[in-house]
Amino acid sequence: MLWLKTMGICLTIAGFGVWGLNGARRYSRRLAQLKDLRLALGFLEKEIIYMHTPLTRAMERTARFAQPPVNQLFWVASRHLQNREGTTAREAWLTGLQSLKHSGDLSNNDLTILKTVASQLGVSDAAEQGKFVRLIQEELKLLEEQAAQEMDAGQKIWSYGGFILGAVVVLLLL
Amino acid sequence: MVVPQRALLTNEIMAYLAPNIRKLLLGVDARLLGDLEEIRLRCHRPLILRVGDKDYSVDQHGRVLRDPAQGYLVSREDLYRSIASISDNSLYAFEEEIRRGFITVPGGHRVGLAGQVVVAGQEVRTMKDFSGLCFRVAREVTDCALGLLNQVAPRGIPVNTLIVSPPRCGKTTMLRDLARLLSDGTRSVPAHNVVVVDERSEIAGCFQGIPQLNVGVRTDVLDACPKAIGMMMAIRSLSPQVIITDEVGRREDIEAINECLHAGIAIITSIHARNVEELRARPLIKTLLDQGAFRRGIILSRHPRPGQVEEVIRWDE
Repeated sequence: MLWLKTMGICLTIAGFGVWGLNGARRYSRRLAQLKDLRLALGFLEKEIIYMHTPLTRAMERTARFAQPPVNQLFWVASRHLQNREGTTAREAWLTGLQSLKHSGDLSNNDLTILKTVASQLGVSDAAEQGKFVRLIQEELKLLEEQAAQEMDAGQKIWSYGGFILGAVVVLLLL
Repeated sequence: MVVPQRALLTNEIMAYLAPNIRKLLLGVDARLLGDLEEIRLRCHRPLILRVGDKDYSVDQHGRVLRDPAQGYLVSREDLYRSIASISDNSLYAFEEEIRRGFITVPGGHRVGLAGQVVVAGQEVRTMKDFSGLCFRVAREVTDCALGLLNQVAPRGIPVNTLIVSPPRCGKTTMLRDLARLLSDGTRSVPAHNVVVVDERSEIAGCFQGIPQLNVGVRTDVLDACPKAIGMMMAIRSLSPQVIITDEVGRREDIEAINECLHAGIAIITSIHARNVEELRARPLIKTLLDQGAFRRGIILSRHPRPGQVEEVIRWDE
């Protein structure tokens, strides 16, 4: 029976530990995704300001440039716009964002800021579009800094916390 | 006479209308749409279809109404979705067109824009808060100018010609067909190199620089180019035998016409006026006429239909 108990203890601690490590990795994934988003928006900004590329094509090119899962946002939005069924940029962006919400690790706060892009996308001249996209990039930069700070503390808590929680559960069960 | 077929209209214009309005118009009689000249969308006001000299509207069930006041009320959402389609959700890609007040869509159809105009200094910077759209159906009437060809090009040689009429009498349609006939050539008139200086993208209906309407195989188009600048550019670089442009009237246009006259190039152009008396009341044009700049004047009216030739004046006699 002892070997069974020992195996149970190990599995419980390992399970909680893996869960904790995965939670810790979400911090670094979020940080990486915020950075990818900022770079992708920079690419989109250049397509709009310098190339005057229509939004459908600009989104598609940005999707090719961006890393997964951030490129999902641009792929889905671009495909939605290609339908030409009177779809607005706002609807396409929000649909893309919904897809990113499921596949990415962004927080609700990050998504709220990204939602503000929807109402402005494509509805003004290049200079205004540029100003707005740069503003969003600045906000993403701040979120990145905040995410980096949270990552230092959060990763430790989750990494150790998972194993500690596993040990506590074991003690309680014993 | 070639009229826009319903299928053509469906493909070329319907694609740019908001889904609600598109759905309503798909139920409209094809014969009515065949003579359609304009579709007008004004925010919170009835949808209006201009067919010939009459206005119609459509109710919520797609029934055509003679009294536009009872028609389907265009919502801000309809306007927003239509503009999104016209501009591919990219107003920034149409800055120059918006500054000019219209966007040309494939097929050469023009969409006029109404809304709040943002002015910086003396120049229009952009437009925002759109409140109205006017879809003008581009109409090619092949061979409508055939009967005028012996006047415009007696003995096969084009002469300086001024087409005169009030708005909506077919001046642009006539100029387009003259461009095609002179460019392609006919049995009585040899083919010529033609340059169309199309300041308002109406004659050739260019979309992304490519003419959407038939202006002939030997025709070059300077699209969205100011007339005076375009005429000088054409002389310098495109060796035209004929320059076609529309709605002259500004001082710089007149100066450019004078340059062309001394370069051995035939100018065919149009101007807004009802008759020669009105024309002579405009000092700049009067000077040109007194100089003998034009050899033919063609007066058009829209009765019984647009393009009706009222009078051909020979100023060289």
